[in-house]
Amino acid sequence: MSSSSILELRGISKAFANTTALSTMDLDIERGSFVSIVGPSGCGKSTLFNVLSGLIQPDGGSINLEGQNVIGATGHVGYMLQKDLLVPWRTVLGNITLGARLKGKVTPADREQARSFAERYGLGEFLNHYPSALSGGMRQRVALMRTLATNQQLLLLDEPFGALDAQTRFEMQQWLLQVWRDTQRTVLFITHDVDEAVFLSDRILVMSPRPGRVVDDLRVDLPRPRTLDTLVSPAFTEIKSKVLHQLHHERAI
Amino acid sequence: MTKKKLLLNIFGPILSVVVLVGLWQAIVVWGNVAPYIAPKPWDAIKAVTSNWSTLAPLTWWTIKETVYGYLTGALLGAFLGVVLNKIPLMQRVLYPLLILTQAIPIIALAPPLVMILGFGVMPKVVIVAWIVFFPVTVSVLDGLNHVDKDLMTLAKVFGANSLRRFVVLEMPAAITQLFSGLKIGATYAVTGAIIGELAASSGSSLALYQRSASGSLDAAGVYGTTLIMTAIGIIWFLLVVGAEYLATPWQRRSTARQWRRGAKPVLTNN
Repeated sequence: MSSSSILELRGISKAFANTTALSTMDLDIERGSFVSIVGPSGCGKSTLFNVLSGLIQPDGGSINLEGQNVIGATGHVGYMLQKDLLVPWRTVLGNITLGARLKGKVTPADREQARSFAERYGLGEFLNHYPSALSGGMRQRVALMRTLATNQQLLLLDEPFGALDAQTRFEMQQWLLQVWRDTQRTVLFITHDVDEAVFLSDRILVMSPRPGRVVDDLRVDLPRPRTLDTLVSPAFTEIKSKVLHQLHHERAI
Repeated sequence: MTKKKLLLNIFGPILSVVVLVGLWQAIVVWGNVAPYIAPKPWDAIKAVTSNWSTLAPLTWWTIKETVYGYLTGALLGAFLGVVLNKIPLMQRVLYPLLILTQAIPIIALAPPLVMILGFGVMPKVVIVAWIVFFPVTVSVLDGLNHVDKDLMTLAKVFGANSLRRFVVLEMPAAITQLFSGLKIGATYAVTGAIIGELAASSGSSLALYQRSASGSLDAAGVYGTTLIMTAIGIIWFLLVVGAEYLATPWQRRSTARQWRRGAKPVLTNN
């Protein structure tokens, strides 16, 4: 495997009953990159995430994560959904350290790490709060910190900001880019929002259903750090238009 | 909780009891109710205090029967709830049996239990447990069945085994439901103990004391005994509510208490 890839998929496929959820797929993800996956529902995005996270077994092929074959195993990726899934009976600190608790004991080092995440990203005052006292945006931040605190290199984010209002969502996107730069993780990001995909990513995979497959693989060479101005630059619009055409072209068939 | 709400929580119940006792007093006095039909509230209380040396050990027995039976029923109920949730086959096999246990009129169940288990504490404990376990089982099962599936998936992705998922997520997630079952059980527990006492026609117990008071037209004694039984039920219910209060701080507070081990004090706004 090439030294710059963190993740290599070779010949991964998955069928359910008579449907090919994911047709044979090869994919390389560069270490430290931000890759978005867009596509209509039923295109296999979620199946891909479920295979990567170990929730379902692919019909064939290999998955190599940091040199390890991870097929059929769990506990090797960070994972976050649209629902924040914070547990109401644990404080912010307890929620951030939930990954550690689920694997055994929460050590003082885990707590220290959680505290430093919360303080760095503006939730230091809320460490001792229960989630019910937090706003939607704050809860989603805690959920991302919990994902980071698992210390996994590869983060799978499945429409994490889908439930937020437009304003909060934009703040969260900028914040996510800051976190990504600080922590140097590799992010795979599912979204329905093409603007979001272009704004965040180094690379966009466009997927298409029946059978689920990658139909386009686009580089996003917009300069970083990305700001409000990025959203209205000609280069942004150009890439967005490419993605949109690919999506709708595929859907028209 | 605000101060106003706290005051309301304390004085509301006191007020309603005062009104109720006042009504009782008013009806008996102004309605010219004969003392062998209904005593004045104060006479009922006096019937208890003046016979306390007789009543105290009987009360103590009833408390024991209630508490032992309740704890047995609660533990059994919670255990069954978990079994039913974890082993789907058991839902088919056990659930009809559980319904059956509750379909049997408890009053009809008491005499055979006394025949089998004798006149001691045992049959009463069994009856109380019999009544209490069912709401606990149903509530625990319900609580476990409604744990967020996505949360369990997340835990799996994080690499948690099923035991950890149960202890760290499912158990605490079901605790609110558990307490609603425990509270229902708490209100029924004394009734179970008294039914058991009535079925055992020999020996001494609150229920038999009341029956003999009734036989001698001692209305104050009858009502007084009822007051004791009711007090046991209310106090036990309040203890369960208190346990819930302590066990589920997140339902009424926005921050966790600071005395928790390992929790470094942090500044908060409220």
